[in-house]
Amino acid sequence: MAIHLPQPKQLKDLLTDLLGRDVTLSPSTPYAPGLDEATSIALYVDDHLNIVAVIACDLPFSAHAGAAIGLVPPGGAEAAIDDGKLTDTLAENLYEVLNIGASVFNVEGADHVKLHALHPAGMPTDPMLRLRVLTLGRREDLAVDIAGYGAGRLSVVLT
Amino acid sequence: MKILIADDSRVMRQIVVRTLRQAGHGGHDIVEAENGKQALELVQSEQPDLVLSDWNMPEMTGIDCLSALRASGSTVKFGFVTSEGSDEMRERAAAAGAAFLIAKPFTPEAFDDALRSVI
Repeated sequence: MAIHLPQPKQLKDLLTDLLGRDVTLSPSTPYAPGLDEATSIALYVDDHLNIVAVIACDLPFSAHAGAAIGLVPPGGAEAAIDDGKLTDTLAENLYEVLNIGASVFNVEGADHVKLHALHPAGMPTDPMLRLRVLTLGRREDLAVDIAGYGAGRLSVVLT
Repeated sequence: MKILIADDSRVMRQIVVRTLRQAGHGGHDIVEAENGKQALELVQSEQPDLVLSDWNMPEMTGIDCLSALRASGSTVKFGFVTSEGSDEMRERAAAAGAAFLIAKPFTPEAFDDALRSVI
């Protein structure tokens, strides 16, 4: 069996249902966050705890998605973006978005995948973890706009 | 009726409450638990009519909570609200005595369909 690379349509449907808002996805260049760039990195593991995928989100997507799922007003997301890091509430909310996000990997015939950990944007992250985001090959790089909130970037990378 | 919602995510408990309302099931008495162990205790002390539980939680998982409830003789109606929506999970849930499994992300319609079978 193998890890399933989620299709943009799956991600769009997931985010639309989860956030209860229109979500627009468009292809983007590979997301390669620098060391100083606030980035959320979610680690996904298989049933043997091997890291098999990461989802990286820039700070704007992290803040907008974390706010939208919890009905936090858009101003709360903007304040976090200006501040350069997620609040604890936005980080907790983003965790739930990316936890449920594991379902896009779990299609018929693919290895079972679940969220292992989230490193929220604005906190120091292990350089080795950032390197996983830079992996080329099986990945989806998307620009995501959440209606009523704003745009950001999200990348799914199989490692 | 009294509904116990068990989920380790606070935002997900809020979403479940909101979705119940959107599905036309507002106005129920809601009790919240952060994990399966707490849910097990609250079923005894609060005597809810229905438990809506996540699957993966710290301390005690939802399926372990359900098994413990059934082993203790509790017949409380129990449904899962979980991101684990595979056929295998559905079969395990049903075998353990769950009335339904709602996969996250969910719609108010999915809630209404599931709840109408038990309310």
